[in-house]
Amino acid sequence: MTSISGPVVVLLTVLQWAGRGLPSPVRPICDPRVLDRFIMEARDTETALRGCKAGCGVTGTYVVPLTNVDFVVWETKDTEEQALEVQSGMSLFGQALGAVRESVSRVAVQILIDNNKSNIHSLGQVLRSLHIQDLPLPPAPAVGDLVTRKVSSLSELLHVHTNFLRGKVRLLLTNAPACQQNST
Amino acid sequence: MTNNNLNKLLVFCVLFCAQKTSIVHGAQALETKVALLLHAEPENPKCFAEGMSDLTCFWEEDEERAGSADQYSFIYTYQNENSSECSVTALPAAGGKRLYFCRLSQTQLFVPLDIRVFRDELLIHNRSLFIELVFLLDPPANLTLTSTGTQGQLKASWLPPSLKYMGDSMMYEVSYTMAGSHIGKVEEVQASSELILRGLQSGTKYKVRIRVKLDGISYSGYWSTWTDPVLMETMPGDLDPLIVSLSLIISLVLTLLSLLVLMSHRRFLLKKIWPIIPTPESKFQGLFKVYVFASLEYETRYEEWLGHSTGGLWLRPAYFYSEEFPAPLEVLSEVSLGPALPSSALPPKASEALGEEDEDEKLKRVDSALMEGWRETPQEHWPMDQLRAIHQHPAPWTQSSLLESHDAYVTLNAQNHSGEEPLDDILEETLPLQVLFASGRTSSESRSDLGSFQQSSGLGRLSSQSSFEYPNHTWPPKGPGYTYMAVADSGVSMDYSPMSSSKIDDIGKGVIYTNEYKNEIPAHRRPIGTPIHFAF
Repeated sequence: MTSISGPVVVLLTVLQWAGRGLPSPVRPICDPRVLDRFIMEARDTETALRGCKAGCGVTGTYVVPLTNVDFVVWETKDTEEQALEVQSGMSLFGQALGAVRESVSRVAVQILIDNNKSNIHSLGQVLRSLHIQDLPLPPAPAVGDLVTRKVSSLSELLHVHTNFLRGKVRLLLTNAPACQQNST
Repeated sequence: MTNNNLNKLLVFCVLFCAQKTSIVHGAQALETKVALLLHAEPENPKCFAEGMSDLTCFWEEDEERAGSADQYSFIYTYQNENSSECSVTALPAAGGKRLYFCRLSQTQLFVPLDIRVFRDELLIHNRSLFIELVFLLDPPANLTLTSTGTQGQLKASWLPPSLKYMGDSMMYEVSYTMAGSHIGKVEEVQASSELILRGLQSGTKYKVRIRVKLDGISYSGYWSTWTDPVLMETMPGDLDPLIVSLSLIISLVLTLLSLLVLMSHRRFLLKKIWPIIPTPESKFQGLFKVYVFASLEYETRYEEWLGHSTGGLWLRPAYFYSEEFPAPLEVLSEVSLGPALPSSALPPKASEALGEEDEDEKLKRVDSALMEGWRETPQEHWPMDQLRAIHQHPAPWTQSSLLESHDAYVTLNAQNHSGEEPLDDILEETLPLQVLFASGRTSSESRSDLGSFQQSSGLGRLSSQSSFEYPNHTWPPKGPGYTYMAVADSGVSMDYSPMSSSKIDDIGKGVIYTNEYKNEIPAHRRPIGTPIHFAF
């Protein structure tokens, strides 16, 4: 017994290390319908909470990224820079939605916010599948940064979130090199 | 030097012409889009984006209130940015209107854009929009139709608008109608550059056109204008098996119906196609009938009758056949006239000539039979004896089938005749033929139709003479008193006269009730070879 269990233990240990360290190969998610689904859900959340009275009880200001895209300018940026913009923006949204989640009391609103937060997390997975490395989060952008701005209501937060997904995130995903190689 | 200048001039002209063409074309496209947006967009100013980095806005004003373009100012502001101004241009429009345009060549998407239009410092229009949501694209180019090789199908292919990043967001609407028809179908397809139209009719020309729009998730906009229609004819179709089978079934059913109709009316059709040769049978009821002699019933009765009689040697010629209930024909000889001639009995039936062709033969047979009877001269009274004997036993005799069967008795009379003479030389006047009809029925039923039966023809051998020629009382003694009827059949008429043998002995006693029945036919109409006909 001991003679058999010894090598087995060693083997299992090695496998465990391998499982931790080595990144599992993930097939690139290039289907635009994946992001389309996230966009539609974000839009539905925005629509649902637009009529929320008193901002659904949400007070405070939240830092959100800028969503404007100038194609001429965008095309001058390389993929990494684009990815950086996207990922930093996504993290900002994650933080903001987390803070909102804590301040809302209505269960229905909480469900919607949770859904959006999970979508943001899934988007991170999608980006990772496109070999867009997780860049270290930049330091918390200060107010007045060119790339961020402040919002003070939940509806505006969600609106910005939707616009961000429709714009920069989508542009990044549809033009990811991993997807371009598959199509060409 | 001169050549270079000429070349340059030539190139310049070409470019200018090309540009002019494109400008003209562009102007036409703009005009189309303006008209479309005037109809589709309620807000002012109406704005649309044609590409990735442009925005065209315009508004319409009446000529009367319109001012110059300088009076208007178009201010636009992106979110979190400073305002900017766009230069306004004016263009005349149809219907006494004026259009004012503003075109941006650098735009930002996915961010709200505020637009304010001032006219002499007066705000006339205010609008906030997302540029990526007001796309109005050019219609797809190079729409082509090809055959797929399958019946009822066409493949439509086109060139998508060349917009970067938006290929998978485009939605197309394909409209196809039969050439000449106004009712068409529409099919939508997303993010594709071709579509297979199915369910089309074979061998039909179809008109196809297409328009494009962004799907509305990331980008949105208005439906583009339709492309120019493209015509294409589908493959000629084979016979649909369903149609073929249905046609076969219908033709089979029609054939069966026509056959049924023909069969049900075959007699009518046969009469028309093969008309029956008319015969005078219908005019002379029973005249041309043939009586079949071989009737068992009759033979039985005849045997019966023979049994009642004292065994007379009735000749039963087998020549005559009766079709119906036959009547025995007994030929009795006439005593009073000339040498008494035996009558050959013809117990069987009166013969009926079967048509004119058989009559001659039958008459010949009758003649031969009669001749045989005539030769039996010594037996001239033999039939009378028979009758006398019968009369002595009237009951059984009357009950015999003989009477019930309405036997007919034919007497042959010969005048100045020797039995040796062939019948051929016998003239009709010398061979009267009398038919005695004895009926068990009441006299009311009987017919006394006296007439003379005379045949006048080369074929006719027999002749009869009416009993009128013989006074009743001079009738040769027949036997003990019994009533009988003398029938004279001329072939077209029958004469019956009730006779009573009792009158021979006791003339004047008793009354015989007779019913006269005349059935006379003019002599010239007497058919040739008139047969003897007995109707019972």
